[in-house]
Amino acid sequence: MSLNPLPVNSSRLGGCTLTGAISVTSHIRDTVTVVHGPKGCSHHNASLLHAICLDDDRMVMPSLISTALGESEIIFGGEEALRSTIRHAAGRDVSAIFVLSTCIVDTIGDDTCWICAEEYGVPVIPIPTAGFLGGSFQDGMNNALIALAGIAEPCPATGGINLIGEMNLEYEVRENSAEISRLLSLLGLNVNLHFVHDTTFSQLSLLGAARLNILRSPSLVPVGEVLKEQFGTPYIPSFPHGLSGTLSFIRTVAGACGIDGQEAVSGECVRQEEMIAGFSDLSNKPVSLDHTLPCVKEIPATEELAAVLDRVEEIQAAGELAARLRLPVSSDGNGISLPVGSAIGTAGTRRMLHRWRRAIHA
Amino acid sequence: MPECDNPLWPCAMTGAASCLAGFDGITVVIHGSSGCYYYPTTLLHAPLEGTFILEKEIIFGSEDRLREVIGNLSGSGKRIAVITTCVPAILGEDIRSMLEEHDVLLVDSPGFSGDIETGYRKALAMLAPSVDPATSGVNIDGVCRFDPFYCGNVLETQRLCAMASVPVGTIFSKDRLERVHHAAAYTLGTNEDFSSGVGQSLGGMLGFDQIRSSFTRIDEVIEGSDCRPVFTELDAQEERVVQACDKFLHRYDPPSTAIFAGSSYARFAAETLTRYLDAEICCIGTRNVAGDSPVPMIEATSLSKVQDLIHTHNPDLVVGSSFERSVAGNAAFVGLIPPLRGQVRLYPTPLAGINGTLSFVEHVLNACIDKRP
Repeated sequence: MSLNPLPVNSSRLGGCTLTGAISVTSHIRDTVTVVHGPKGCSHHNASLLHAICLDDDRMVMPSLISTALGESEIIFGGEEALRSTIRHAAGRDVSAIFVLSTCIVDTIGDDTCWICAEEYGVPVIPIPTAGFLGGSFQDGMNNALIALAGIAEPCPATGGINLIGEMNLEYEVRENSAEISRLLSLLGLNVNLHFVHDTTFSQLSLLGAARLNILRSPSLVPVGEVLKEQFGTPYIPSFPHGLSGTLSFIRTVAGACGIDGQEAVSGECVRQEEMIAGFSDLSNKPVSLDHTLPCVKEIPATEELAAVLDRVEEIQAAGELAARLRLPVSSDGNGISLPVGSAIGTAGTRRMLHRWRRAIHA
Repeated sequence: MPECDNPLWPCAMTGAASCLAGFDGITVVIHGSSGCYYYPTTLLHAPLEGTFILEKEIIFGSEDRLREVIGNLSGSGKRIAVITTCVPAILGEDIRSMLEEHDVLLVDSPGFSGDIETGYRKALAMLAPSVDPATSGVNIDGVCRFDPFYCGNVLETQRLCAMASVPVGTIFSKDRLERVHHAAAYTLGTNEDFSSGVGQSLGGMLGFDQIRSSFTRIDEVIEGSDCRPVFTELDAQEERVVQACDKFLHRYDPPSTAIFAGSSYARFAAETLTRYLDAEICCIGTRNVAGDSPVPMIEATSLSKVQDLIHTHNPDLVVGSSFERSVAGNAAFVGLIPPLRGQVRLYPTPLAGINGTLSFVEHVLNACIDKRP
């Protein structure tokens, strides 16, 4: 049971632009992220990143520096505090400094871009974020990726594939990444760049070298479009969900790269059959699946539609899986309630099946 | 330098929420965006509400949205408390008059106004706690939902009070709302950093010396109390601590220790480790303003400051939060303050009371033994 009542209007629940941008910039190891705002905003995010790092068995925290605005800066302006903090950060051995604003800073009218344009001896890259004034978590993530794309130059092709917008705050981000790498390897392809997951600033220069970009979710289509325009790289709008989604993904990647993918598809099909056979004990149990879709505004934003699309794919993948296992799905919610979440590739589907078995045996 | 590298302590808004969410009978509303709402909600594990304001409310005013949310919440029989976050706090809206038809408690505690202790105190002051001469016994204060030991501290202090036949008055802040105005005349503290200032303090509950002193005072001022069972248990359990630490010292050198906490918990840890383990306290970094201590304390509210202190002193043992653990290298680690990420915590472990000291020393000894070759 959730203890936290939330309003019906989900457009209010988009999260913080700052957090979305930090989820990207904090994954570029040799850089510093300056958060222009009160200390609390940085602490909230530092604490979140800390938890994610521990989940990921990484003990080293990314570096966030707060301009630590207090009442006096809120009244008289925080630009001098920002300048001083950027100078302090530039004194470290870093390849770049990202500057992220907060909602209070946009409200008082600090000109963050102007301060960032001064000379500090190291690239200073402002990213448009302003808490809720800047949009949602997803907007922050997209803005950060687009800002980073802006500093990458065209470069020789490597023949590899870029993974775009991996969800760094997702508990199973590494497992999903590994699954996509495995599926690409079936076609003899490898990952050119994780844009952006656990990388360095100089590696970002490889952004334009890929033959194909694979977006983590359809919400990243604006980023895919920017990259397509900038480098001419085509994109696939989402990581694959479920069984047939995974097979279809292999075919699409193969088609986009001009490779014959039939053998890879056949091999994956066998793998899926063997996996399904391992869960035959679940057959014939009456179940219900969570079909809840995200609430959207009357006139939904593109990003909200993308989130709905992603969810629909998850639900369709779960329905297909239930049918393959011959699980009677109750539409009135009377069966055993099974979790329906992100099941990326065959490996993600297997992990969801283990959760279904746990639910059925509970 | 005003800047702060990876700030380690929450803001005043979170402090206000952690105080008010402790009272049954209050509905806490965070007046701000979803980003500001999520952090205290996940941190405090409390059913908070939010206005989840959008840009249009900043431009055209938040009155309609605030009235919509408060209107939906009113009628539940609970007092509604609205906590302002940074942006609403500077808009200059007269929120009090906007909500005058509702009995709303307004706490102006934006993040930029200070740290968690500031917000906690401001929120408690807004509740206007008072002593009721008809209430006997002692209050318990220093209880903050942010503290991983808050629940254990309450249970342990209640246990010792029951042993001494002392009724418990109001618990600040983990009680029914109406109890705020019926506090007892005396108070026991579990964490001075979040003291209530209500009633006459009889002392603290951190460490055997404080407990002994506090229950001596209880014996003097609370009619009908009988603290002998507490003293008997204190003596017996202190002897166990002495024996366990002596056994450790037969085989190992005392750990040089770096402590990071609020000043109250830091002082407890330093005194306990010095007294029973002859530990060298090589540094104490406090999250809040450093109080009086025999060992010098300095403020350490950023990760870089913590790193500097640990690298400078190279301690055998680090006591603090999981932030400290992440930069502690090979040193043994014991958790004392939040966040304590990366570990499952289900049991309400205390730090206050007799069991609190037993638990702390037990964790220290086990951590140090585990790290020995």
